[in-house]
Amino acid sequence: MDYGVEYRDQEAVARLRGRLTFNDHAKLRALIQELLQSKGKRQVVDLANLEFVDSAGIGMLLIAREELANADKQFVLRSAQGQVKRVLSVAQLGKIITIEE
Amino acid sequence: MAPPQDAALAGLGLPPDRLDRLSQTVGMPVWSGGAPGQTAPDRVFLLMGPAPEDAIDDRFAQSYAAWIEVADYADDEVIHLIDEAMSADIFASLTTHTAGGLDLAGRMVGAIARHRALPQVKREDMELALHEAITNAVVHGNLQVDGMKGLSVSALDRFAADLTARMADPAFASRRVEVLISFQDQGAVVEITDQGIGFRGRRKSKPATTTTTTTAKASGRGLHLIAAIAQSYELLDNGRRIRMRFAL
Repeated sequence: MDYGVEYRDQEAVARLRGRLTFNDHAKLRALIQELLQSKGKRQVVDLANLEFVDSAGIGMLLIAREELANADKQFVLRSAQGQVKRVLSVAQLGKIITIEE
Repeated sequence: MAPPQDAALAGLGLPPDRLDRLSQTVGMPVWSGGAPGQTAPDRVFLLMGPAPEDAIDDRFAQSYAAWIEVADYADDEVIHLIDEAMSADIFASLTTHTAGGLDLAGRMVGAIARHRALPQVKREDMELALHEAITNAVVHGNLQVDGMKGLSVSALDRFAADLTARMADPAFASRRVEVLISFQDQGAVVEITDQGIGFRGRRKSKPATTTTTTTAKASGRGLHLIAAIAQSYELLDNGRRIRMRFAL
């Protein structure tokens, strides 16, 4: 998985690309750190170009949400497609994380 | 088991004399690509010696019936794996080190798609189910690494540190993960086996002490996803083997 972060006034948008699996712990760790340091209150993770996510990837997104909530920041998942969208649905992640189309 | 008609062995990074010896023992010829116009055997079992990861990955894109990593196995152990491969339609036996470095689930679903038509959604769902089962075998089974406990960066760091340390330890990383796929009239049975210590030997995990709900845990979702995708699944051999059935 790769990502890029775009910083705006009130929000940061992280765009993930490729496959997010248990092997991507270092990347997710770095992303969480970047989002914690950004000034915006709203942190958006854009999944439009993410092709595949596994259960460990879901776990890491939940850790990101929790860490950002502890820092009083809002965490949003956006634009999931295909396999990623189905997994978020099966895992009922919408009950815990704000998911936008 | 008698070798099937029109089956052969192929080698990657294996000394030619060893490949010849194994070929004679199991009674299958060596197939080395063939001359132009020559028809390939129906089933070719690939035996892999030391080879770069990308060379191994390349071979997974080809239509072998089995991918068997020889590693430190003696001839009789390799022959046992060839026997297992003959009982399946698609077979792979890799060390945890090798399996962890390539996308084995995607490769196995690609092999299934060479036998049966797989619409895109079905293909992605099966890939996730196989990926979760293989990840369980590699991470929790063979490497004996616990899932992320708790929703914090420190849980992520502990998971990452354990995973890296165990993958660097040959005692864990040389354990094998095996994928055995058999087609049936209306579907396929996929078995994933590890060489870990099973449920009994594992430390019982403590109940979560956080106030988060079950659905907000950072780990433990793999089997749930498998249950949602597969027709059915069973855990066998004290958790070292999972057998999943898929409609095709």
